Amino acid sequence: MRAPLGTFVHARSGDKGGDANLGLWVAHDGSPAYAARVAWLRDLVTPDFVGTLLPEAAGLEVEVFALPNLGGVNVVLHGLLGLGVAASTRFDPQAKGLGEWARSRYVEIPEGLL
Amino acid sequence: MAESTRPLRIGNCSGFYGDRLSAMREMLEGGQLDVLTGDYLAELTMLILGRDQRKDPSLGYARTFVRQLEDCLGLALERGVRIVSNAGGLNPAGLAARIGEIAAGQGLSPAIAYVDGDDVRALGPRIGLGAGALTANAYLGGLGVSVALARGADVVVTGRITDASLVVGPAAWWHGWTSTAYDELAGAVVAGHVLECGCQATGGNFSGFRAMVSTSSTDEMARPLGFPLAEVAADGSSVVTKHDGTGGMVTVDTVTAQLMYEVQSTAYLGPDVTSHLDTVTLSDEGPDRVGISGVRGSAPPERLKVCVNELGGYRNSVELVVTGLDLEAKAEWVRAQLEPRLRADSVTWSFGTSPRPDADSEEGASAVLRCTVQDASPEPVGRAFSGAAVELALASYPGFTMTSPPADGTPFGVYRAEYVDRSDVSQTVHHADGSTEVVA
Repeated sequence: MRAPLGTFVHARSGDKGGDANLGLWVAHDGSPAYAARVAWLRDLVTPDFVGTLLPEAAGLEVEVFALPNLGGVNVVLHGLLGLGVAASTRFDPQAKGLGEWARSRYVEIPEGLL
Repeated sequence: MAESTRPLRIGNCSGFYGDRLSAMREMLEGGQLDVLTGDYLAELTMLILGRDQRKDPSLGYARTFVRQLEDCLGLALERGVRIVSNAGGLNPAGLAARIGEIAAGQGLSPAIAYVDGDDVRALGPRIGLGAGALTANAYLGGLGVSVALARGADVVVTGRITDASLVVGPAAWWHGWTSTAYDELAGAVVAGHVLECGCQATGGNFSGFRAMVSTSSTDEMARPLGFPLAEVAADGSSVVTKHDGTGGMVTVDTVTAQLMYEVQSTAYLGPDVTSHLDTVTLSDEGPDRVGISGVRGSAPPERLKVCVNELGGYRNSVELVVTGLDLEAKAEWVRAQLEPRLRADSVTWSFGTSPRPDADSEEGASAVLRCTVQDASPEPVGRAFSGAAVELALASYPGFTMTSPPADGTPFGVYRAEYVDRSDVSQTVHHADGSTEVVA
């Protein structure tokens, strides 16, 4: 079913110069589906997926690093913030809210994970 | 140098320049600590300090740290807590001198050391620095701090060392680690990375905040989040926690959140060690206690990263409130009126969320049209810009209003990374007795 990514995925985002960084990981909420959720998230988050989830990142170079021991992935969005925090004219130039935006986006989540 | 093999208990009382002023006192009074650290230097902060120093060469350090020590230096000495901070910014010598004055004024005589050598502006064109470079600082490691503590410093202030080095240095001193104890150092880097942003490890800026506040009373929700601390063991493993009775929480998820923050790949590069984040294991060690173990380290990169801030130009913006019907047409008209007046190199327009139709509040019926301009010189983005917008107040779309009065532009910086050879940089410890020691 379609539901917000943040239904069971946490996020933390920030800036590194002109790049934005977005960590996504499965919440430790006691669900028996934890391992299945982690596997689903790891498969879901590809550079193309990030461009769809966050249309403002479409066309940017996106890297995804798996961190299975932390149950998640780290995403680097190169150039999203232009020349960096002091120079950026972007809304939210430090990407502080990027993670919460990502969590609010609707994605197709298999019933068994909810 | 090991004083003991028990874990080092090390806290943080600042995640940025502007963080909660009372945190130093809270951390000193809230429970036992061996070392209290504070991080004051973000990329943007270096730019702010660079501007301060241009106006007054005696400045260039984090002034809030001075205020905190005015309040807490005696308390820290009385409790035997060493203070380690990168608040020295662009002028650690100036900060050390200022702390000396404060101590003398209070009849205290702490051993104050400072660490510098990170400022590489003198390398100039060799590292691609133009005339507009305000700051250029190499990210140095924890060795200087370690050496200063070993010589008995009560207070150590540094320039640009990495945020994690504020923990790595004290831990290396406490446990007597060598510079090739990569796994131990990497463990301390991870602990340092978790602590460096203060309350971001204890439930601040955390997606799962509802687990922390949903069932709480208003009083509970109003309680400030506690700052984090770590117990760093001799093998580099650690437990992240906070003082008893403070607000917030430390869970596997709050620690994961901070581990994921501002990292770029699974290899976390630093001046002392490369830490492999895909080896980190977190464990629940009881209420508000999370273990960090298994961290593997390897040799650090050959070259050192340099944070360069250059004056990028000047910027200004105006926000026009557009209300009610025909939002797009109103916005289109005022843009067409203003654009011929704009002389700036760069003009960016954005139009916020569309309000709901038939909104039951004026704010709910309004959207903000924002125009941001940038230019290499101040004039085109100054009153020539904001004044031109104001002149339309009675001569444009119905309901024209702005969120703030017209203002002058402000200068902005551009950050970029450069790299230097280690041989180009000499990290130098200035001990309390006046002697100096080049450590790397």
